[in-house]
Amino acid sequence: MAANNMPAGIDKEQAFGMAETEMEYRVELFNRLAQTCFNKCVDKRYKESELNMGENSCIDRCVSKYWQVNGIIGQMLSAGGKPPM
Amino acid sequence: MASSTSGTEPTNGNSSSSESVKSQINPIRMPTMEEVRAQEVWDNCAVRSVVSGVMGGGFGFCMGLLLGSLENPIMEDQMAGKQKFIYQAKQMGQRSWRSAKTFAVMGLIFSAVECVVEKARAKHDMTNTVVAGCATGGAMSARGGPKAACVGCAGFAAFSVFIEKVFDTHS
Repeated sequence: MAANNMPAGIDKEQAFGMAETEMEYRVELFNRLAQTCFNKCVDKRYKESELNMGENSCIDRCVSKYWQVNGIIGQMLSAGGKPPM
Repeated sequence: MASSTSGTEPTNGNSSSSESVKSQINPIRMPTMEEVRAQEVWDNCAVRSVVSGVMGGGFGFCMGLLLGSLENPIMEDQMAGKQKFIYQAKQMGQRSWRSAKTFAVMGLIFSAVECVVEKARAKHDMTNTVVAGCATGGAMSARGGPKAACVGCAGFAAFSVFIEKVFDTHS
């Protein structure tokens, strides 16, 4: 294709496809993160509407750990291609 | 095949439900940065314990005034009116100051211990209250020896749990 402003080998369709995939991945990550940490940290018997201090620190820790795990697994998958079983 | 793609399919999809159902439900709004910062300030253990100490001091002051005003001098019939007044005022002042100090320390220790324990455990339980009550009672009665400290610990822990349950069911 006669591309005048494209980087090597990527055309617009591909770029849009990649952006869409990335967006879906991000949205899925956010939803999973919020659901996991909510289920883990917040007691189901709601006694008040504000997050109390224990829940706040639990959510901080949960999000941090989830993010780290996500990063590690992402690196392993992108580097190896085959999980070391 | 020349197929007419337009218009013979039934109208699906766009059955626009009329938005005449005016519910008063407000949309979800995320907390602003100021609210988050304010919550972080309030979650700070030092701030919480100081505020609790001040409130305890105020409460102790009022209670000391009340109880000091009920005290009667021993030599009542030998004092003139002005002497009685001065004595009464001094009693109330001393009593309220001592009481304010006691309650301020109590509030400070209780709030600080509860805050630290809750942050460490990352849970909102009754265990935090029990530990904080025990620490406060033990610290206040530590002067009487280990046995008095144990009794104070147990007693204050039970009292805190009771108060917490009262506030849970009635708020």
